[in-house]
Amino acid sequence: MRAIDHHAWSNRWRDWHPAEKLIPAGGLLILTLVLPPLSSGPLILAAMAWATVFGAGVPARALLHVLAAPAAFLLLSAPFLAISISFTDGFHWQWSPQGWRLALETITRALAAVSCLAFLTLTTPLTDLITLSRRLGIPAGLVELILLVYRLIFVFAERAMTGQQAQAARLGYARMDRSVRSLGWLAGTLFQRALHQARRMEIGLAARAYNGELRVLGSERALSWPRLSIGIVGVGLIGLNGAWLAHTLP
Amino acid sequence: MNPPPLLVLRGLEYRYSDKILALRDLNLNIERGRKLALLGSNGSGKTTLLLHLNGTFRPTGGAILLDGQPAGYEHRSLNDWRRRVGLVLQEPDDQLFAATVAQDVSFGPLNLGLGEAETRTRVQEALEALRIAALAERATHSLSFGQKKRVAIAGILAMRPELLVLDEPTAGLDAHGVTHLLNALQRLHEAGTTLVFSTHDTELAYAWADQVAILHEGTVLGQGETTAMLEDRELLTQARLKPPLLLELAQALETRRDDRNPLPRSREMLLALLRERLCGTVPLAPDR
Repeated sequence: MRAIDHHAWSNRWRDWHPAEKLIPAGGLLILTLVLPPLSSGPLILAAMAWATVFGAGVPARALLHVLAAPAAFLLLSAPFLAISISFTDGFHWQWSPQGWRLALETITRALAAVSCLAFLTLTTPLTDLITLSRRLGIPAGLVELILLVYRLIFVFAERAMTGQQAQAARLGYARMDRSVRSLGWLAGTLFQRALHQARRMEIGLAARAYNGELRVLGSERALSWPRLSIGIVGVGLIGLNGAWLAHTLP
Repeated sequence: MNPPPLLVLRGLEYRYSDKILALRDLNLNIERGRKLALLGSNGSGKTTLLLHLNGTFRPTGGAILLDGQPAGYEHRSLNDWRRRVGLVLQEPDDQLFAATVAQDVSFGPLNLGLGEAETRTRVQEALEALRIAALAERATHSLSFGQKKRVAIAGILAMRPELLVLDEPTAGLDAHGVTHLLNALQRLHEAGTTLVFSTHDTELAYAWADQVAILHEGTVLGQGETTAMLEDRELLTQARLKPPLLLELAQALETRRDDRNPLPRSREMLLALLRERLCGTVPLAPDR
């Protein structure tokens, strides 16, 4: 989480208008959902990985890190898609060829889709996405919620970390049973702290004439039409290519 | 006739819901153009008192006069009150909510109903007043504690308050952070902002305030000029405070007091005085 945020704030494309990144990423995400995955999926995955690593200059390790969790999840669940079960004559199971194809398609499609999201989150600070979503007419309440959660995640992550360190310093994690107990205490304390924090933040906001709406100035970013056009053309080419491959391959 | 003080607290009483008396019969005058230190030990009611100064808490007894008029607690009056009296909390994370510095500072001005252009001017002005304009586009959570503290103050400054109230402004800051902050506050003061800050640090109050109010067990034991208040041993002992070392040293040196020889209020002044006593001369420049 912290690592993602760090790269979002420090990559080469950070200062681009968020739409220049959202539109290509969103476009490719739609392509992964509509095109046959086996032909277009690898293409999209490669394009997004290329843009993230060579375009925006995010280290490849960071990208792999983000993709690792969903990939592991997919690999674990894929074999179950490749099994066909029958109950007609007792319980029988077997590997099925269509099942293998289905599993492969699911993995490719999911990874390609995740790579689009990874590109977006690794290159665009959440604040830009929040500003953009406000402009796109997403309800103010929802946007404010995202904003507060984003801000408070870091406050609580820090508290949780220091709390955990303090417990560890008193051997709270020395044994399995102690660990379970310590973790429970930590969670309880954090919950109480969250309530106090909410109350104090209310006071802090009231001091600034809070009237029920968290309005802030958006950052001013000029939209670059050339960059946006390149992005759209790129998505178009990948789409055509994917469609053509799907047509020619079996 | 003089204009009434900016804020007057008269016979203030505050009871928490569980009947604990946090403030009792508290009197305080906040005059324009002052640097007032609210001095008290832990648990003396400093923060509770500060939360009354901008109408966050409503007293259960007594009166608060804003410009000589009883302060109102309906929405409209509160908004006007908070525009004029800016409160900076001790913990900056309680106050900062937006994701970038500039966005956070823009919150107050936008709530005052200012337009986008005016808000941008105010944000820039507030950031420059605290010398943190370079942080404008940084993520709030990536800042150091000292930087967060300055951003929290900028968020209040952007509303251009007449009175700036700070809860323990130097708590948790290193020596450099304290100097940086005090310099910024000094500039604001010279530009006409009245300052009130709470602290348990008598050294800070002595070096920096021109008026001191001493708080103990929820009431003000006394309010007056800084030196006079801090020379009152009995009062300080009662409030469980220690007299500032600078003042004690000066007293030990039996400094004559007149307009030409004021009591030393800073380290540098005390060192000059010591040199004079020890060497019989006042060097014009520090020794090389």
